[in-house]
Amino acid sequence: MSGQTQSDLKSWGDILNPVEMQRHQQVGLLGIVALFVLPLVIPAIYAIYLSSALFFATFVMSWDFVSGYTGEISFGHGLFFGVGGYTSGMLNLHMGIDPWIAAPIGAVAAGIAGLLIGFPSLRVQGPYFSLITLVTPIILISVFRFFPDLTGGELGLVSVGTVEKFSAIGPIPSPGFDPYSGYYLALFVFLLALVIFVAITRSDAGMVLTAIRADEISVAATGKNPAKFKLFAFVLSGLVGGLAGAMYGHSVGGFNVSELLALIISIEVIVAAILGGIGTITGAAIGGLFFYLLRVFMRNIEFTIPVVNVPVGEIYFLLFGIVTLGFLFYLPEGIVPRLVGEWRARSEPQAGEAVADGGKSRGERIVEEWTDDLRELFGGERR
Amino acid sequence: MVSAITIATNVLMLGALYSLVAIGFTLIFGVGGVLNLSHGAIITVGAYSAYAVDAATGSIVLGAIAAAVISGAFSLALYKGLISKVRHNPVTVLILTLVVAIVVEQLALVVFGGEELLVPQLLGGSISVLGDSIQANRILVFVLSWVLIGGLFYFVDRTRTGKAILATSMSDKGAALAGIDSEQVYTYTWVLAGALAGLAGLFLASFQTANPLMGRNPLLLSFAIVVLGGLGSIRGSVIGAYLISFLDQMTITFLSERLAGVSALVVLVLVLLVRPKGLFGRELVEE
Repeated sequence: MSGQTQSDLKSWGDILNPVEMQRHQQVGLLGIVALFVLPLVIPAIYAIYLSSALFFATFVMSWDFVSGYTGEISFGHGLFFGVGGYTSGMLNLHMGIDPWIAAPIGAVAAGIAGLLIGFPSLRVQGPYFSLITLVTPIILISVFRFFPDLTGGELGLVSVGTVEKFSAIGPIPSPGFDPYSGYYLALFVFLLALVIFVAITRSDAGMVLTAIRADEISVAATGKNPAKFKLFAFVLSGLVGGLAGAMYGHSVGGFNVSELLALIISIEVIVAAILGGIGTITGAAIGGLFFYLLRVFMRNIEFTIPVVNVPVGEIYFLLFGIVTLGFLFYLPEGIVPRLVGEWRARSEPQAGEAVADGGKSRGERIVEEWTDDLRELFGGERR
Repeated sequence: MVSAITIATNVLMLGALYSLVAIGFTLIFGVGGVLNLSHGAIITVGAYSAYAVDAATGSIVLGAIAAAVISGAFSLALYKGLISKVRHNPVTVLILTLVVAIVVEQLALVVFGGEELLVPQLLGGSISVLGDSIQANRILVFVLSWVLIGGLFYFVDRTRTGKAILATSMSDKGAALAGIDSEQVYTYTWVLAGALAGLAGLFLASFQTANPLMGRNPLLLSFAIVVLGGLGSIRGSVIGAYLISFLDQMTITFLSERLAGVSALVVLVLVLLVRPKGLFGRELVEE
């Protein structure tokens, strides 16, 4: 931004000073502090759930960075988690490389996968590109199934041999076996991804990425090369997603198709990002945590639905799908952007601003849309 | 070793069957610009409707009618209830239809269980062709599929409603100028595509089995078929379906059972990269 005057530029001290921040940023900081303190008060099993949730949130952020910003929607981000995880796992299993070294190599492999997926996005656009991303993980799964001796096929590396967990570093217990140590490893990966992605998307590069989503040709007209930015986004997303996949496998998770590569993972990642708010990174982080914990929560409900006599735990995935459908349909812009928007609207009311709908509150508008829908359904006219 | 006759009948029959699925998929895309990822789930709906009605009444003919009617109604409800409201946002459409597909699979899993269900054959017995015996059911499926495809060509080429569908897929603005109610055309298309997919589901279940995930593979093959034939082209879909089913059978027979479906996906990616509008893509692509 060349048009800025000197007084607009803030020093790092200003940017990072909590007192100066806006309300939602302060809440976010509190949330991060809470994540640090949480393990002190929760039982070990919840620490494991939370670590998985943190890894999942990292996956979601890596998706949001490329799809939420450049608008090239990837329907197969599981490819990156899978390539990162499996590369690291197989290096350890078949060649005996230490997990601490294998995991970064896995990340690099996923970064290369990002480059390979990024290239078609320069040629093929919109739904066609989505189809390519949708089928690449499926092809990879079939290839894995073809070489069960190396990859364990559908069952994952467990069926070939034992992949080592992360070993202890000095006085810190091994993150693979100690739930709390695993939790802090997950938190480290999560925060690393959060800092990298937030820093980039809030910089000028982030502005270019958003501009690509809005109008690629205009970006090219300003003399910037959209292809370069897109490839960069894909590679970085692959690196981070792959690192998270490898770290997940060597600590709280495992290396198998259903945890890393399956279509359902890619879909869950997209749904979580939409719930949190696309193109925000922070929304993706919160959406990922919320989504994962909601699923764990629903799976563990021991309530039996009276009429049909089925326990919730058995059909949790069905209910979960329906809840997701409702969220997607009625809250398409996501939770975080809406909350931030309402906070801003409440804390800084802009006097004299023109209001298109006569100044009705959001609640009133939603009720009105609902009654309109109902009326139309019963054959009436919309107002 | 599988005989050449068996491969040939498989290719002929599956090609016709996949055509039914792919035509519906491509019609919805051509007319409304919607990539309907729940199209595979409608196959499941059709197969399970037929199974349930057959179990209740003992007549597979009633089951076949149910497969068409219930799937058509499901497709209509899906369009009217969800898709028509978000049609202009392609990303939301893709995700919503995917989640709908997952919900349908889970519903089938909860109601009918995960095991493979046997749906009775439409026609028992088998016929001997050049020394190889072929199930009569397969021949009937082949004939019925082609009757449906032929009927569809007649419908699109000769009737007013069919021509309206074709016109809307070429240009909805132009169609609107000629007095065609596009909303009505979209609705017809969804019902038609749903009924075709439902029948395909019944056919598929009648010589294999029904299970909650049975719609996935046909959907993936449909991607490859319509991309190969050109999105929005009916003729291209039929030709694409035959190419893909031939390729798939060859892979299964000569390479490995485990690679079923993969060759089609590789073709899909290659076609998208080399010639995105497919073999028979429309000349007039409206942006």
